[in-house]
Formats: sequence, structure tokens, C-alpha cells
Amino acid sequence: MSTTVSTTQHTPSPAARQATLSGTGTLLRFMIRRDRIRTTAWVLGIGLMGFYFAHAVQVVAESQEELLSVSGMYADPVGRMMVGPGFGMEEPTHERFYSGGYALFIYILTALFSAFTVVRHTRSEEQTGRAELVRANVVGRHATLTAALILTVAANLVTAGLVFAGAASAEYSLTGSALVASGSLAVGLFFASAAAVSSQLSESSRGASAMAGAMLGLAYVIRMGGDMAEVGGNALSWFSPLAWAQQTAPYVEDRWWPLALPVGFAVVLTALGFWLSTKRDVAASLIPVRLGRSRARPSLGTPAGLAAHTLRGGLRGWGIALLLTALMFGAFAQTMVDAADTLPEEMGQMFAGEDMMLGYLAYMALFMAVFVGAAGVSGLQQLRGEESRGRAEYALSAPVSRLGWLGAHLGVLLAGLLLILAVVGVGMGLGAMASLEEDGGRWFGELFLAAVLQAPAVFAVVGIVTALLGWLPRLAAPVGWVLIGFAGVMASFGSLLELPEAVTELNLYGHLSEYPVEEIAWTPVLVLSGIGIAGLVLGLLGWTRREVNRV
Amino acid sequence: MSENAPVISAVDLVKEFGPVRALDDLNLSIAPGEVHGFLGPNGAGKSTTMRVLLGLLRPDSGTIRLFGRDPWRDAVELHRRLAYVPGDVELWPNLTGGEAIDVFLRLRSRGTGRAFDPTRRDELIERFDLDPRKKTRTYSKGNRQKVALIAALAAEVDLLLLDEPTAGLDPLMEAVFQEVIHEAKAAGRSVLLSSHILSQVEALSDRISIIRSGNIVESGTLSELRHMTRTTIEVQTESPADELASVSFVHAFHTEGSPSTGERSVFEVDGDHVGEVMQRLAGLGVHSIVAHPPTLEQLLMRHYGDDLSARGVSTSTQKKVS
Repeated sequence: MSTTVSTTQHTPSPAARQATLSGTGTLLRFMIRRDRIRTTAWVLGIGLMGFYFAHAVQVVAESQEELLSVSGMYADPVGRMMVGPGFGMEEPTHERFYSGGYALFIYILTALFSAFTVVRHTRSEEQTGRAELVRANVVGRHATLTAALILTVAANLVTAGLVFAGAASAEYSLTGSALVASGSLAVGLFFASAAAVSSQLSESSRGASAMAGAMLGLAYVIRMGGDMAEVGGNALSWFSPLAWAQQTAPYVEDRWWPLALPVGFAVVLTALGFWLSTKRDVAASLIPVRLGRSRARPSLGTPAGLAAHTLRGGLRGWGIALLLTALMFGAFAQTMVDAADTLPEEMGQMFAGEDMMLGYLAYMALFMAVFVGAAGVSGLQQLRGEESRGRAEYALSAPVSRLGWLGAHLGVLLAGLLLILAVVGVGMGLGAMASLEEDGGRWFGELFLAAVLQAPAVFAVVGIVTALLGWLPRLAAPVGWVLIGFAGVMASFGSLLELPEAVTELNLYGHLSEYPVEEIAWTPVLVLSGIGIAGLVLGLLGWTRREVNRV
Repeated sequence: MSENAPVISAVDLVKEFGPVRALDDLNLSIAPGEVHGFLGPNGAGKSTTMRVLLGLLRPDSGTIRLFGRDPWRDAVELHRRLAYVPGDVELWPNLTGGEAIDVFLRLRSRGTGRAFDPTRRDELIERFDLDPRKKTRTYSKGNRQKVALIAALAAEVDLLLLDEPTAGLDPLMEAVFQEVIHEAKAAGRSVLLSSHILSQVEALSDRISIIRSGNIVESGTLSELRHMTRTTIEVQTESPADELASVSFVHAFHTEGSPSTGERSVFEVDGDHVGEVMQRLAGLGVHSIVAHPPTLEQLLMRHYGDDLSARGVSTSTQKKVS
């Protein structure tokens, strides 16, 4: 008996080894069933985006001169900092412009999808306790992680196929297109495996996603530094998983070997993830849980304090993201001054006024304000979530009036949005000051004002969605996102679409004057503010009259 | 409002959600200082009643009064006097348990001019064995319930609305809960306790209401309810007790055992005829007798037995009655 035991200990039978994987197939089918819409949407979305980028660059820059001038943006240090090492931009072709300027966005989305999917099926299942239910069945220790990785890899393969098809359909060289697609696959593998590790480390899915997300952010920042320094990137670029995919230099040098780095790391990290998962209990974490305060700060015990606590995280995220974007947009000011004469007509149409640079920044202020509006809609959606998850009901069981509850949340939200607009203005101003060779400081005040003057449009969006929250809560978020999506489309392509005026009038962001290129027009400011105030009043009225979380 | 005016009084409450009649002429009355057990399966209307009491839902018809006031109109004033534990406690994930408790205690003491008393809070945290420094995101259902319970019980209120408050608690915590509710009662608080745990309701409640499809089908003290239902009697007699089988208030009469070992008669008697049966039995020469009052489970099954049998589940009560 004892001899048998010792032999099996030294050389586990194939059956025993398989046992840690039992149920993988069933779990995989289960995950596919759960994710049939989510994953399909991601894969198709990324695939379509690749297709769109590949074809759009041919429309944006038809002639060789146009191509030269727009590629110039990405050959500059600032452009390289934003999008990549800028291989082959001295002799741009459409395919080089596509891979040099846009492939990075495909890689970032693939990385996010991969990390989220792995965390979603491993750590969040454990956190909710569902994993326990699954593991109580005939399911091997490694089955869940294995199934989650298979799902992610499969989705990444399909995505890569679509990206390849998108580039190939634009008649780009097949080798380069295969490299762009393989780059996206390699980045996906790397971040899936990184999430396999972070899921072992943190006890909450938020923590695990944040760790993987921080790694992506770090990869981006490292790449920024490396690629800005010189064309083709310097040594720093070789420390970023995102840069590894870009170092294949598709359509220029077409080298495959840099992909060995992300793939190799993916293998190592996956192995590490599996190994770490055997070192801990189900639902436990390797990083000890940090304990918080046992007593609340006094500010928390008020409706406004509670509202600030609820909305703070989301607003902070939007604020940081938009500040960075504003800095970058601002930093393009000099490029715009240089490119003013050579820009293709299509791009010129998007910007108001003669002065390219100011027109560009006025347009960017509008564009950023659409995002601030998105932050507003997402905040209001969060309030609806507070209601449907039962937390509003619980909070209202304390002596807090409905008016006080919603009023406090709206107050915090609006203050936050205004602050973000101001931060965007400061960001654009600073970016422009830093990049402009002469008179940079002169524009700071105007750029700041340009951003803040978008507040009435944001306010109108918040007002309309709040009114719906008060009366037709189910419609609130969908209508809000339609308003934002429409504004985004109009801001990007509005002048090219040639829509009837009755339709363009519906764009809440289309009415304010394009300061600093145009004078401030006060009528739209007043009308939009009026819509905002009316919406808030209506919404508060509805909220105090309707039932809470009626099922 | 006089001293004995009911804390909660609901008359003919109706609440419809589309085609579903969640509350169907519901009547409920709770006196000051009373612990009122609220029984019924999921979907019978317990939580809807709680949410109407909180002024979160508005009844379609009927009147509802808390401390003599309308919970929809005077929600804020009334909520100063009550505390609520939801059936499914959802907390703000990035608050710690201690912070969540404080939020509620602070919200409640706001405007009263006095700060809440942290000793009561700390004592309850100790007794319920809760780690207040953990983020609520990491809490189990039981721990989230403890947070809501502590927040409710540490508050200086006159009425506690508890919606299945111990569904996720272990037996030790269940004992603590019963102790704390006894203390609340001793302090003169009224409690509406909705629950599935019959032993808990039996141990704590002064009065009980059984709700079925939005309607109160039975309401009273446990002994009143027992009185209205049948007592099971097992008796060994000198002479056969067969004659009882034909009496109108005796049900499910049958005999067990054999004449050599002594025959036992087992039957059920309508609550208000027990005395009569005893007199008859006395004439037969009783060797031994066991009488079971109906358990709360039997009481509940009496109202829900047909639901179960319709689903093909047989219940012991059912078998005896048929």
C-alpha cells in the first residue's frame, strides 16, 4: 500500500494529472454561453474598428501630398509619443499610416478585452462565491483558469483574423497585415496571462482588473517615453508589451521576432498564474486584504457625503483620462500651426475659422465636452444603479428625503463635471503653452475659457437625462448615450455627412459658438442652460413623486 | 396620538404591479412595544408591505398609518423613528462595514442636535462578531446583514422593520439576534419581523400574522392561532376509543399497535373542543396520553398545504387531514 502511494507521488499517473483539468470543456461551453453577447460585441467591435481604420486613412488622405502632411503628425515627437515609433513615416503609404497611426488602438482594446475576460471568469466568480458552487462539482483545480484562457485566446484569434481581413480588404500587403493582426494576438495573450496572475494576487475583481489595467497604463507610458525620444523608439520602448507589437514595423521592416517577447512572457506568466493558484485557497488572495477604517469620517454621514463617495471614483477616472487627453491635444498646437497650410480639405472642413490652430483647439474643446457629457450620463446611470441595486432604498430608509438624496447626488455630479471641464481647459492650455514655439502663454486663458464655455451643453444633457430619471427611469441611460453618441458622430463627421438642418439641430453640442474662433453667442448659452434647469426641476419633481425601485 | 394607538395600522391595502396583485386587501395592526411575526413564503407580499411602510411604494388603495401618519408624505419625519433591515442588504462596496454603520447612525442623528452614542454601536459589533475594518465588498451575505442589523439596533428608534434579518446568519448569531430583539422589546420598541425561521418567530413574537398572496389569512397570538387549529392527541385507554371516530370535531382517527401490547388511538381535535374530548376519554380509563399543540409549521402548512400538494409535495399535515 505504502509503496503504491510513494510511486504515485513521484510519478503522478496521466489520469491524476488530467483530474486537475476535469470539467474544462463543460466550463468553457458555460463561459461561451454566458459571454455570447459580450465577447461577440468586443470581437466584432475591434474587428470593425480595424476595418474602419484601414479604409478611412485612404479617404482622409487621398493624394500623396495629403498623406505626407497628415503622416507628419505621427512622425513628430509629440505624434510618436501618442501613437507609436513612427516607422516609415518619412515615406508614408496608406498601409504605413494605418499601422503607424492606428494599430496601437487595436492593441489597447485587445489588451483590455483579454484582461477583463480572464478576471471576469476567474476572480469575480470567486468573489461572488459562484466559483465555490462550481468547484463543488467534478471540476478540476485548474479547469476554470484553463477554460477562461482558452476562451480569451480563441476570441483573440478571431479578432486577429478580422483585423487581418480588414487590412487585407484595403489591399494592404499581406505580410504586414498579418503582422498587425499577430501583434494584436500577441498583446492579447500577454494581457490575458497578466490577468491570470493578477487574479491570484488580489481578493477583489476590481483589484485584479486594476492591476492588469495599471500594467497596460505603464506599458503605454513607457512606450511614450521610448518612442518620443527617437524614430523607431529607443531602448525604453523594449520594456513595453505594447511597443513589442509595434516594433515588428509592419509594412516597413516586417520583422516577426519581436513577437517572441510577448508570446514568451505570456507562456511564463500563464505558468506563474497556474502555479500561484495552487498556493492559495479558493476565494483567498496572495496579497493580504488591506483593512480600512472602522469608523466613518464625519463627512460621510450626510447625503452629500454619501453622494460624493458614490460618484467620486467614476468622476476621478474620467477627470484623469480627460486631463491626459487634453494635455496631448493641447500639445498638438505647434503641429497644427505647421500643418495649417498643408492639411487636406476634408480635415479643414471639420475645423471652424481660418486660424488652423485655434480652430483645432476650439474643436477639441467641443470634442472633450462630449466626453464630459458622457461622464455625466455615466454618473446618472450610476444613480439609477444605486436605485435598482437597492442601495437608494436602504439610504432612504434613514431620515433622508428623496429631494435631499437626488439633490445631493446631482449637486456632486454637476460640480464634478464643471471641475472636469475646467481641468480639461487647463490641460489644453498647458499643452499648448508647452508646445507652441512663440506666444504660448497668450492662449492659455482663451483655451481655458473655450472648455468651460461648453458647460451649458453638458448641463443640457444632464438635465434631459435627469428628467427621464424622474419620470421614465428605464429610458434615462439609453437616451443619454444616444445623445452623446449622436454628438460624437456629429463632432467627428457632421460636416461630411450633409444631414438636413432639422437633424443637425438636435445635436445639443452643435449650438454653442466655437470660441475662441468665434465670438461668444449668448443665446445658445441661455437656451441650453434653460433646458438644463428645466430638466433638473422636472427630474426632481418626478423623483419625489414616483415610487422607488418599483419592480 | 394616544398611548395605545397602533404603531402600524394598515387597512385594506391594495398594491398592484401590472397584472400582479402584490397586496390584496391587507390588514395589519401592531401595538406599541409589540414584536410582530410576519410569516409567509417568498412572493407572498412581505417585502412589498415593508416598502409601503417605508413610503417607497404608494398603495393603490387602502390606508396606511405609521405612528398615525402617512408614510409616503411624512417619510423623513417617520424615518427618524424607525430603522430598517432590508432582506437583501446591498452596501456601498468601497466602504468598510464600520463606515457603513456610521453613515446610517449619522444620518439618523442629523438634525436631532445630538450625536449618536458609539458605545452601543461598539457593543453590538462585538456581540455580532463583525470586523468593521473590512470593505463591504468582501463581506458575505451574513456579514452584510450584520452591518444592517447593527446599524438598525444601535439607533434610538421606536420601530424596527426587519425583513428576513437573519437569513444568512449562523445559529450562534441567530441566538445573539434573539437576545438583542428581547432587549429591544424590553426597551419598549416595536418590531415587525418578517421571517422564514419559525422557531425564531415562535420565540420572539407576541403576535403573528400569516400572509398569503398579499392577504393576511391569520393573525393573533400564537396560542390564539393554536386554539383555532387542531391538537393531535395520542392516547392509550382501557376500553377502545373507537366511538370518538364518529364525533364531528375529531379528525383522522386511527389506531396503532395490537391488543396484546396495548392499543393506541391517534386523532386530531378541533382546538375549541379539546375539553369535551378529555371528558369522554376520562370515562374510558386513560393509561397514557400525549397531546401536541399544532406547531407553527402545521399552522403555516394549513394555509399553504394546498399550494404544496398542487405541486406534488405531500406534507405530514396533509396526510393526517385527508
